[in-house]
Amino acid sequence: MSSPPDAEVIGRSLDDPEAFGVIYDRHAAALLRFLGRRVGAGVGEGLVGELFRIAFEQRKTFDVSRASALPWLYGIGSNLLLNHRRGEARRLRASARMAAAHDAADKRAGAAALDARLLFPRVADAIEALPDEERSALLLFAWEDLSYQSVAEALELPIGTVRSRLNRARAHLRELLEPDGKRRVRSR
Amino acid sequence: MKRVDLVRKLRREAAVTPAALDRGKAVLMAAIRQEVQPMRRPTIVPRLPYEDVGAALSFLERAFGFREVSAARGVRADGAIDHTMVEFGDGMIGLGAQGAHGAFSPKRAGTATQYITVHVDDIDAHHQRAVASGAEIVSRLHDHLRDYRVYEALDLEGHRWRFLQWLREVPQSERH
Repeated sequence: MSSPPDAEVIGRSLDDPEAFGVIYDRHAAALLRFLGRRVGAGVGEGLVGELFRIAFEQRKTFDVSRASALPWLYGIGSNLLLNHRRGEARRLRASARMAAAHDAADKRAGAAALDARLLFPRVADAIEALPDEERSALLLFAWEDLSYQSVAEALELPIGTVRSRLNRARAHLRELLEPDGKRRVRSR
Repeated sequence: MKRVDLVRKLRREAAVTPAALDRGKAVLMAAIRQEVQPMRRPTIVPRLPYEDVGAALSFLERAFGFREVSAARGVRADGAIDHTMVEFGDGMIGLGAQGAHGAFSPKRAGTATQYITVHVDDIDAHHQRAVASGAEIVSRLHDHLRDYRVYEALDLEGHRWRFLQWLREVPQSERH
């Protein structure tokens, strides 16, 4: 027998709160990884229980027409992370140093690798400088591999708004990475 | 290289440890229990200090049939139970880490300084269960006059428990 979809489990948990434990068992590992990527494993571990506690308390607001609870949980996680901007910035800069070292060590990358040390810290700064709503959308899309539809569910936005937000984020990145890039900004 | 691909390159894997998942779940389950059973608050609640609260809890549940008031459970960072409460009938007792409030387990103190009386419905079945679970019987099961049937046992850290079942209603004039 196949297991019931998240929407059914959450529906059941309205009368039988303990059923919500199943949602944790299904998605906690993914959310823990998500939080860890953004603010580091230590802080992420402290947040995952909180994330699911909030989800449990808000479960009445879950739209049961959506089969999977994952985007909804990502949305709650994204909101939680707004209180951890400083930790996130630190983590991002550390990631940039690692990525730069990795690319510089990659001989096959050739001349491009020489720029890595300069490039990645700038990418990190650029991500960090994005407005919250653009950064949330961009990282859900690029790091968590969420579809436009899922990002829309996570951030409770129409899909068109997600599209324009991601386009704006890309344009911002371009501007921030290339001082003369402004002239070349175009919509996709 | 596309901008999003550059962003993608800054993605880092984060380790997921089972212990971290367990701790997160404990937070969620505490919230769930809070909703399922709002806590009762009797006027007087004795609290017993234990060296190992988790082991004490499972012993008290197994041997004496107490039930944890799970909303009361407090868990330490390492996942161990720091304190909780158990109930039995309309009674309630707290279990806590020894030393935290200046009180110590008999296991460390070397002696019990109190005993707790618990009224049960079927003393023989209760006694049997306690014995089967390894409780040390320190006063054998017997009838006291013809008023009640009683036995006393030590739990795994040496706290002393007195279980009794009244055999009849004793008139005021006959009470000792």
